[in-house]
This record gives sequence, structure tokens and C-alpha cells, in this order.
Amino acid sequence: MANVAKKVSWSGRDRDDDEPAAAGETTPLLNGAGPGTAGRTPSSRPAPHPAFLRVGQLTNVDLDDDIRELETETPTQVPSEIPHNEKLLSLKYESLDYDNCENQLFLEEERRIHHTAFRTVEIKRWVICAMIGILTGLVACFIDIVVENLAGLKFRVVKDNIDKFTEKGGLSFSLLLWATLNSSVVMAGSIIVAFIEPVAAGSGIPQIKCYLNGVKVPHVVRLKTLVIKVCGVILSVVGGLAVGKEGPMIHSGAVIAAGISQGRSTSLKRDFKIFEYFRRDTEKRDFVSAGAAAGVSAAFGAPVGGVLFSLEEGASFWNQFLTWRIFFASMISTFTLNSILSFYHGNPWDLSSPGLINFGRFDSEKLGYTFQEIPIFIFMGVVGGILGAIFNALNYWLTMFRIRYIHRPCLQVIEAMLVAAVTASVGFVMIYCSRDCQPLQEDAVTYPLQLFCADGEYNSMATAFFNTPEKSVVSLFHNPPGSYNPMTLGMFTLMYFFLACWTYGLTVSAGVFIPSLLIGAAWGRLFGISLSYLTSGAIWADPGKYALMGAAAQLGGIVRMTLSLTVIMMEATGNVTYGFPIMLALMTAKIVGDYFVEGLYDMHIQLQSVPFLHWEAPVTSHSLTAREVMSAPVTCLRRIEKVGTIVDILSDMSSNHNGFPVVESSPDTTQVAGLRGLILRSQLIVLLKHKVFVERANLSLVQRRLKLKDFRDAYPRFPPIQSIHVSQDERQCMMDLTEFMNPSPYTVPQEASLPRVFKLFRALGLRHLVVVDNHNEVVGLVTRKDLARYRLGKEGLEELSLAQT
Amino acid sequence: MLDRAARLLLPVWLLLGVSTGQGLRSGRRPPLQSGPEGRALAGQRRLLSLELLEEAEDLSLALLETGLPGELAPECRELLHDFANSSARLVGCLVRSARPVRLCQSCYRHFQSVTGRLDNITRAVGNSSETNCAKSLLMSDRLQIVVILSQFFNSTWEKASCANCLNNNSEGLSNNTLEFLGLYNASLTCFERNFQGQSINLVSGNHTEVCRNCNVTYRNLNALYNKMKKMPGRASASEHRTHLCIDVEDAMNITRRLWSRTFNCSVPCSDTVPVIAVSSFILFLPVIFYLSSFLHSKQKKRILILPKRIQSSASLVNIQEKYS
Repeated sequence: MANVAKKVSWSGRDRDDDEPAAAGETTPLLNGAGPGTAGRTPSSRPAPHPAFLRVGQLTNVDLDDDIRELETETPTQVPSEIPHNEKLLSLKYESLDYDNCENQLFLEEERRIHHTAFRTVEIKRWVICAMIGILTGLVACFIDIVVENLAGLKFRVVKDNIDKFTEKGGLSFSLLLWATLNSSVVMAGSIIVAFIEPVAAGSGIPQIKCYLNGVKVPHVVRLKTLVIKVCGVILSVVGGLAVGKEGPMIHSGAVIAAGISQGRSTSLKRDFKIFEYFRRDTEKRDFVSAGAAAGVSAAFGAPVGGVLFSLEEGASFWNQFLTWRIFFASMISTFTLNSILSFYHGNPWDLSSPGLINFGRFDSEKLGYTFQEIPIFIFMGVVGGILGAIFNALNYWLTMFRIRYIHRPCLQVIEAMLVAAVTASVGFVMIYCSRDCQPLQEDAVTYPLQLFCADGEYNSMATAFFNTPEKSVVSLFHNPPGSYNPMTLGMFTLMYFFLACWTYGLTVSAGVFIPSLLIGAAWGRLFGISLSYLTSGAIWADPGKYALMGAAAQLGGIVRMTLSLTVIMMEATGNVTYGFPIMLALMTAKIVGDYFVEGLYDMHIQLQSVPFLHWEAPVTSHSLTAREVMSAPVTCLRRIEKVGTIVDILSDMSSNHNGFPVVESSPDTTQVAGLRGLILRSQLIVLLKHKVFVERANLSLVQRRLKLKDFRDAYPRFPPIQSIHVSQDERQCMMDLTEFMNPSPYTVPQEASLPRVFKLFRALGLRHLVVVDNHNEVVGLVTRKDLARYRLGKEGLEELSLAQT
Repeated sequence: MLDRAARLLLPVWLLLGVSTGQGLRSGRRPPLQSGPEGRALAGQRRLLSLELLEEAEDLSLALLETGLPGELAPECRELLHDFANSSARLVGCLVRSARPVRLCQSCYRHFQSVTGRLDNITRAVGNSSETNCAKSLLMSDRLQIVVILSQFFNSTWEKASCANCLNNNSEGLSNNTLEFLGLYNASLTCFERNFQGQSINLVSGNHTEVCRNCNVTYRNLNALYNKMKKMPGRASASEHRTHLCIDVEDAMNITRRLWSRTFNCSVPCSDTVPVIAVSSFILFLPVIFYLSSFLHSKQKKRILILPKRIQSSASLVNIQEKYS
């Protein structure tokens, strides 16, 4: 017995890695039928471990019997395969355990810690928030500086080349050079994302949104993801794609927060033995929302916007102390970025660059707005909403195509390279065909391209294309009236719109904020120019203001954020009086856009088949009761359970459940007993690993009592059941779950309506909700996927189906 | 300093009369001045008329002229006079060399003399025994015309970036600038000489003669200009990219405009055909890529999992029937 007990092989990888075909959430089975009734045959499901576990004698708590019967009744015995669509829920995603497990160990620990010690915990929280802020700021600085230098190098090389070939002829070589440079840089960025960490693709905002909603997205807050994300975003911005580096900052901040708050790195196998108190999902979630806020704040120089972003996008669980801490982290983050960047730019105490993107100053005097302009801003909101809806709809089809056909990593890399090459050549052709020359003012343009312009002039199209997107946005906002002619702006908007739409969803890590702002700024400026042209009025002279409103409207139309975006824009412009028109534009854009399709992030969450819980249950769902919603039958465990049974249940590939209701262990096996508690798979695994068996306790071996620390040490990567070896003798032992289970799980009666169940589930951040009958007997279990599958579609209530992805 | 700036923003001070700054400053003012101003205020309260105010000012000037004790000392008056003369010369010079811009080359001496006079005024603080010239000239009234003027000169000088053309101690033009101006003159003469012959053809725009003959000088000029722009040391002044001085910039602009617009000399080789070929090739690649992946790549299928429910299939259908 003892020698087997030592053989616990810890796998460094997640359970998700090891068993990609493993089924997800708790949809356990009822132990209703007696032992050894029907269906003891190997199932028709693809189970990698066929019945080798079934040989052991199984007691009344059995699995799969009922479900086999159910399945044999339905005609579709063979699992049906369908192409990917948006009405699926993936089994890949599990819930986070936000509910605190108040078992006896927990109570013991609380008793042991003196109440003053909780004050240290509070101080530690503040320290962690400060560290989150500082590190996020540092990462932002790093990204900014590296991007600036690498992009500067690239643009200088290409510019010299173009200048050379403009005189001699052979500009096609410059085009080739530009396209090759871009696509090779993007190739590097795409390879690391596609082959090493696919979850680092995209802006990361949907993933963080899911995480804060309570969905455990695999690998999303790992150190490896952070590294790939940072390198990937640098490479894709330098590679000239129509992307920004702001969105990924939010993800980076979240990863930093998740890492610091745990005081260790599982990837690096380093444990600093600090902050052990925070090693659970509830605490981690709070810090992750602080990290996301710090990320926004570093990206836009908008600390309040960051806090509100966390509030709007993420925080389903919120309190005022947390808000204050998050605000603290945001402030620290923007301050760190500011001081380091100003140091880097050579004016150490100036503190003039609070964010990665700086919209520049909008002076109220020059760029004030009047009453008459407010309807115009609202109209711009409408345009932004419509354009945003078109953007999202196009991106939807593209993403669907990508999921269905371009799922191999090498194809993804090739696609990214092609997009980079096309972006470069579109830019080149636009610059080549443009005849819009502007006199060279020294500080207006960073990389002036002369091309076919007269000496001393530069190509105006080149300021838009031949630059990093951030700089282009700023020049659209601030270049004096007349720097762009309408034709240039129109062509630019059109081209960039499609490029950005095409680019979002590639396997590179990149954000959509800046491209949206850029599209909006371009058509906004065009709008402003045409407005002053039409009215020939001097009041509406400055097109920069309209560029700003256009940018706000376009961004609102694409991502559909409201409060946080208004504040972010307000803070980034540094002008509070713009709050009102920005709000109006964003509101209109959201209303108009929502009429057609949903926001980009929500759309991508849906396309990823994530079981995302919105604020409310679908409105027309009151007639559904818990009985119809729940999964049944449920696999239950007895309070004192045989080890063999537990191992078998955990090892069953077809039902990868995560929580098991614990029932009274009555000697009578045919009877369903009352609910006593709930135990999680992770807890069971830790128990098995430590061999907490009744017999061993009785043998009075030198076994130390298990503490809460043992559970925390295993968090968050619990070893898979396959790595735990249990000998035949041990299988006969018994295990007492009483002191480890959560003795007071939340329950609902069968008759509770779906909105009621939903509210309880969502508000408390539950993972399992037990459905009981009048005698407190378990009849079913409601999990996230049971609730998330009801969605209000076009024809009323729809039910999504579960699928393996 | 803030106060002064605020006052510069208030050109209507005469009309407004009562300003907070005035109240704050009255303590420092010689007692005699408060009389007329007090009267002015009273007059304003009565009528708010400009004439009255002007009258009051005249009166106070008249009082100053009489040289009452405690008023402007003769040496201060001397200083003021010097400043007046030199600034007049500077203004004249600035305006005269406005177009084509020759500000820095022709006026730097005047500018230096003005700064010198101003220095004299400020440095005269401790010198004179009972009178304090700096105080009475620079900060005894709300307008402070001397300060306004000197600020104006300084800001003009800075806007023109004249310091970049002068050598380190601002004694004369820097070597680079001199070289540039020499080349500039050379190319202008070259233009002129070659242009004379074919002035009739001005409309046709055929100036190959000029282009051929002056190419070398123009190239040199251009190269020198670019070199000056990139000169190390100038970039040190933080993120703003400092300009070359306005003379050089303007001269270059004129030459460039002549060269490429009037003479049409810079004809870049445009190779449209290869560019179109290459770009359409690149644009065509994604089409092939998507088509081939659509045709050849195996479509990703999802395996449906049947949910475990009590009435697994009927429930939702029922609901929807109920609704419809």
C-alpha cells in the first residue's frame, strides 16, 4: 500500500491538455437505479479508457446507468457531428469556484488566525494592488519603447529605400521590401501565438471578460501567455498590421495581477511562499479585475476609465472597497508609465505621457463646441453605429470561416503573413496613387515621404499609412485644417475599414481599439471638412473635433461599451467638456448598432462557444422551471464513501464532472438519501493524493491532519486523476468526506423558475446549484452551461447545444 | 511671471478698469500714482467713459514730466530712451526683412543690442542710490510696456529659431549658415543666368537648360540642408524637433519651389506597370489562399454532446409552442 502511495506523478500540464476530449462541467448522474442493472456494457462513446475500471465492484453510487438507457431511447446513438456555428456551448470551458467552501478546515483556519491577522491580509491586498500597477506600467513602457524603436527602424529603412528608388526608378522593389519586411515580422509574431499559446491571440478583452464573468478560460492568466502576448503585440504592431497595442494591455494587466496575487509562478516552478491566503478563485478574480483596470489605465492614461471598464465589462462581483483598491492600482499604473516614459523621452519630471496613446491636448478655446453642433454629433453617432454594425457583421462571417476552415496553426500563420503583405501593398498603392501633396512643416510628420511630390512637400496619404496607427490617429486629430484633402481621407477610410475588419481575428495578438479610432477619426475628419465646406461657416472650422467624435462613434459602434468608453475618451483628451458630446455619440452608436448586430467582443465570445452568463436571464423564460433546466440524474457520493467508487467516478471519461453532492450514507442502498453537502473534484483529488482514508487514520500512522494549505498548494492546477495511483487494496478503503465537503451548498426547489435560478447563480457566482425535492433529496444539478444555453434569439427563446471543441 | 502673462491676455484692461491685479499691485506703487488712478476709478464708476480715463492718464504723465521727487530718475530715463531707440531699430529691421525672410542674418545685431539694453535696465537695480530703475520701469504699472516689448522680441526670435543660425556666442552667423547662404546665392545666380535665355518659354515649362546646368549646385544645396537638419546636438532639445532658422528654411523653400514647380526639374521616374503588377500579385495571394483552404482544408466538425435531462427533448419545444 505504501509504495503505491508514493507514486503520485504530478503533471505540469492542465487536465485540459491531457484529455482534450474530456467532457466538462458537472452534469452528473443520479444514482437512482440499483447496482448492476442495465447497460454494463462498454458504451458507444469514444472513451479512451474502456471498461477497465468497471471491473471493480461498484456500489449503489453508480454512474452512467440511467444515461445509457436514455441514450438508447434517442435515435441519435452515434454522436452527431455538425459544422461549427454560433449556437454551441463548448465543453472546454469550466466555471471558476467563486463560492467559498466553508468546510471544517476553513473554519479551523479562521479560528486559528487571530482576528488582527486579517488586518495584515488587508494590507497585503493593497501591496499587491500597488505591485500590479507598477508592473503593468512597466510592461506598457516596455511595449511602447520597443515598438517605437523597431517601427522607427523599419520606417526609416523603407523610407530610404523609397527615396532612393523614386529617383532612379524601380519602386516595385520598395513595395516588395515593405511587404516582405511586414510579413516576416508578422510571421514571427503569428508563429509564437499559433504554436505556443493560441489563447494570446486577439485583443484579450473577450477572454478577460469571460474570466471575470466566472468562466475558466484555459491558460488565460499564465505567465507564458503574458510573454507571448507582449512579444506578439510588439511584432504585430511593428509588422504594420492595422492593429493597436492598447487592447492587449488589458490582458497583460490581468495576467500580471493573477500572477502577483498568487505569490508564485507555476510555469517557472517558483513559489515565493507569500500571499498564500489569496490562492483561490474569489480573491484571484478581484485582483484580475484590478489588473484589467490597470491595463486600461496604462493604455489610455485613463485611471477612472480603467476602473469603470472593469466595472462595466468584468466585475459581476463588486464592492466599494474593491473599487477603491482598483482605482489605486490604476493610478499607480498610469503614474508609473508616465514617469518612466517622460524619463525616456528626456524630460524626466514633465509627466506628459500618461498613456500608450496620447490624444494630445484638445483646448476648449480653439475646439469648443456649440449647441448647434449637438445634433451633428448625434448624427455622427448614427453613422458610427451603422459602420460598426457592418464591421461586426463582416467580421462575424470572416471569423466563422476561420474557425471552420483555417484551424491549422500553419494556415493561420500564412494567413497573418498574407494580411501583412496586403496591408503593406494597399498602403503603398494608395500612397503611390495619391497626388495629395502638402508643404512640409517640420514637426507635423514623423516619416515624411516625398515620392512624387515636389521638393519640400510630402505625400499626405503617407502620413496616414506610413506610420504606426497611434501616430496616425493623433495626426488626424491635430494636424491643422487643410492637411488632408477629402479624397485622401475617403480612400483611407474605405481601405482601412476593410483592412482592420480583416485583421481582427487573425492569430496575432493585437487590439481593435486603435484601428476603430483611426477609421472613425478619418471619416470624422472627412465629415468635418465637408461640413465646413457645405456651410462655409467659420464656426465649424476645425475638423479635429469631428475627427474625435467620429473616432468615439466608430469605437462605440464596434465594441459597444458606453460608460467606460466615454470616460476613457474624456480622460485621453483631457477635456471634460467633451464628455457630453462623446457620450451622445457613443449612446447613439450603441443604440443604432445594437439594432443590427451585437458588439464585437460579445460576438467573439459567442463564436468561441463560451458559456457566458449575461446580467439577466432571457426575458421570456419564466415558464421554464429548475426541473427542466437542471441536469439529471446526478452522480452523488455518500458521506463515507469507498475509495474505489470515487476513483471510478473521477476517472470516467464520459462525465468529467466537477462537483458532487454528498448524501447521507444510509445502509439501505436502494434509497436516495438527503443532501448533506457538496464536494469538488479538486478536493477529492487532493484527498486521494494524500490518502486520507478512514482505515489509515485508524491505523494511527503518523499521518498529519490535512490543512487548507494543502488544497491551496495544489491550486490552480490540480493533477488529473490519471496521475494518482490507487492500489487494489486501497480501493477497498473508505473515505470520510464530512470535514472536507461544503456543508451548506445552495439549493433550489424544483419549481423555481429559470430567472430565479439564474439570479441566484449569477449574483453569487456559483458553480453548482443543487436542485432538491421536498425531502431534501437531490434531483438535479444546475451548472453554468445549463443556464447559458438559453438565449434570446430572433425567434424567441433558443437552446444552444453542447459540443466538444 | 504669471501675473504678467495674465495681463497680456487682457488687452481691454483700459475698458475694464478695475482688475484684481491692480488692487494687488497698488502697494508697490509710488504713492503719487494712486491719486490719478483713484480718480480714474471714480470717473469710471461714474461714467465708464474712455475719455475720462485717457484724461487721467494724461494727467499722470504730466505729473511725471514735471519730475516730482520720487519720480523717474534721469538715469532711468536715459536707459528707457536707449531701449526705445534700439527696439525701434530692431522693429524696423524685422519688418524690412520680412520677405524674403532675412530676419536672422540682418537683425541679430539689433536684437543683441535690445537684449543688452534690457539687461542694463534689469541690472541697474542696485546701482542707483535712491531710485530703482528696474522697479520703476519694469513693474510699476499694469501694462509694463518694456516687458511686453521685450517678450515680443524674444518670442519672435525664438519662433524664428534664429539661435540655430548663429554661432555659439551669437556673435555672428555660424559657419554652416554661411556656407548654406553661399550655396543658395550660387544656385540663385545659376538659375538666373540660365533662365534668362529662355524666358519666352516660361509657359511651356521646358527648362531643361536650367535643370542640367544647375543640377549640381541644387543637389549640393539640398544635401547641405538635409545635413544641417540632421545635425547632432540639435536633436538634444527634447522631443520637439527643432527647426532650422527661418532664413535657411525659407531660402530652401524658395529654391525648391523654383526647382520643382517653376522649372519642373524634379521628374521622378514613375514605374507604374511593375508596381501594379507586384501589388496585384500580392493582392491575389489571399484569394488563392482562401479558395484553396476552403476547398482542401477539412472543415472542422463539432461533436454534439447530448445533455442529461429529465425530459431531454420536449421541454423547449413545449415552451416555444406555448409562446407561439
